[in-house]
Amino acid sequence: MRIHKDLKMAEVIHMNHHLLPVLNRFDIFLGFGERTVEAVCRDHKINLDFFLEIVNTFHDPSYFPLRHLQTFKASMLIDYLQKTHSYYLDVKIPEIGQYITEIVQTSGFEESHRKLVKNFFDQYQHELTNHITKEEQGVYPYVLRLEKVLESTLTSHEILEDLQKYSITEYEEDHDDVESKLFDLKNILIKYLPPVSNYKLLNLILHEIFELESDLNNHGHIEDLILVPIVENMEKELHSRYADHGTCI
Amino acid sequence: MQIMAPVSNRICILLIEPSFLIREGLKTLLSNQGQPYRIEEFDAPVDDLEKLVNRINPDLVLLNPKLVIRLISLPRFNENIFEPFYIGLIESDTPAHIQSKFDQTLNLDAEKSELNKIMEKSLKQLPNCNSETENTSLSEREISILKLVALGNTNNEIADKLFISAHTVMTHRKNITRKLGIKTVSGLTVYAILNQLIKLEEVQGV
Repeated sequence: MRIHKDLKMAEVIHMNHHLLPVLNRFDIFLGFGERTVEAVCRDHKINLDFFLEIVNTFHDPSYFPLRHLQTFKASMLIDYLQKTHSYYLDVKIPEIGQYITEIVQTSGFEESHRKLVKNFFDQYQHELTNHITKEEQGVYPYVLRLEKVLESTLTSHEILEDLQKYSITEYEEDHDDVESKLFDLKNILIKYLPPVSNYKLLNLILHEIFELESDLNNHGHIEDLILVPIVENMEKELHSRYADHGTCI
Repeated sequence: MQIMAPVSNRICILLIEPSFLIREGLKTLLSNQGQPYRIEEFDAPVDDLEKLVNRINPDLVLLNPKLVIRLISLPRFNENIFEPFYIGLIESDTPAHIQSKFDQTLNLDAEKSELNKIMEKSLKQLPNCNSETENTSLSEREISILKLVALGNTNNEIADKLFISAHTVMTHRKNITRKLGIKTVSGLTVYAILNQLIKLEEVQGV
């Protein structure tokens, strides 16, 4: 079922409680009373259409955001994507990391297995952090520069250089290994790690990993299906603008 | 909603087909196979299939060739051991030279039993797919290759050591990954140590 503006926000959570962290990224927290999605968005000064697209994309992976989402500003999207990044790096990963440290210390692990599991997770954390840093320091600033130039009528020589150097479509080609590592970690825990005494903690770790994975999938989905097409359009527009000015690119 | 219980490996599918009804029908076919999947759908012409495939990195591509402008060849990656499996969504009048580019074709006019059979056959080809009937224990050859991978050897080094072609090494690696559900080298290393195929001290940087 689609999430729409007249639904009560409380019903949205009843429908899919995995949306809670997504709501938090919009600075929306529990305690909605009887207010509708529209009313909550108004109270928090959130663009309603944008909110609906984000939650629907999260709620139903086959939901098609493409066409109308392209009318949103890239900066709005980047703001959201950055918030999901900090949710991973500041909340989710440290949480899982701490559980893992705890379980390898308390569950009667062999010394070598202890190191193995811990190191594997540390490697994953390191790669994820690198990937995110690359986006935040390279890709996002580039997109914001494009948007700024497009909104003004000025010709910018820096942006000409940018356009020659980058293209959004080259982006996102290296996240496969990060994804695969998380996938492997799940199977190691599910299939190959010998049973541990603190099974409740291991259940919790696995649960957290599944949550993280589905959130990461959604994040990638938004980047691939929404951000990339918006930026491709911006690049096209700038290329043609400079072509009209007789500037060679 | 096609997300099923996430207990087994979910495959990633890229679906490029203009008709909503056909897309929905294909998803029903996929769901009938009982294989959990996630799907990215496109209903408009694709300018650059290679870019799209690189970005989504699917296990399986269901593609209506009409939506690809200038279909010369399908993107395949030699260095990537997880090359997608391509199913062409064709009609009886689709030219043979287009049909032959795909690993498998699915005629949109075919009968239900035929469609199910093709879907089942195709899913079995995928590295992440859980097949209930298949023997999931590793062969001796696979174990020796797994050890060498876990110790940090490249495909070419393994090929040299075992006197087989790099292509054969890749085939073995695909099978190992399919059987174990582990894709990365460091994941395979962890597996090999947990199962005492190699010792922790033998490995650098784990």
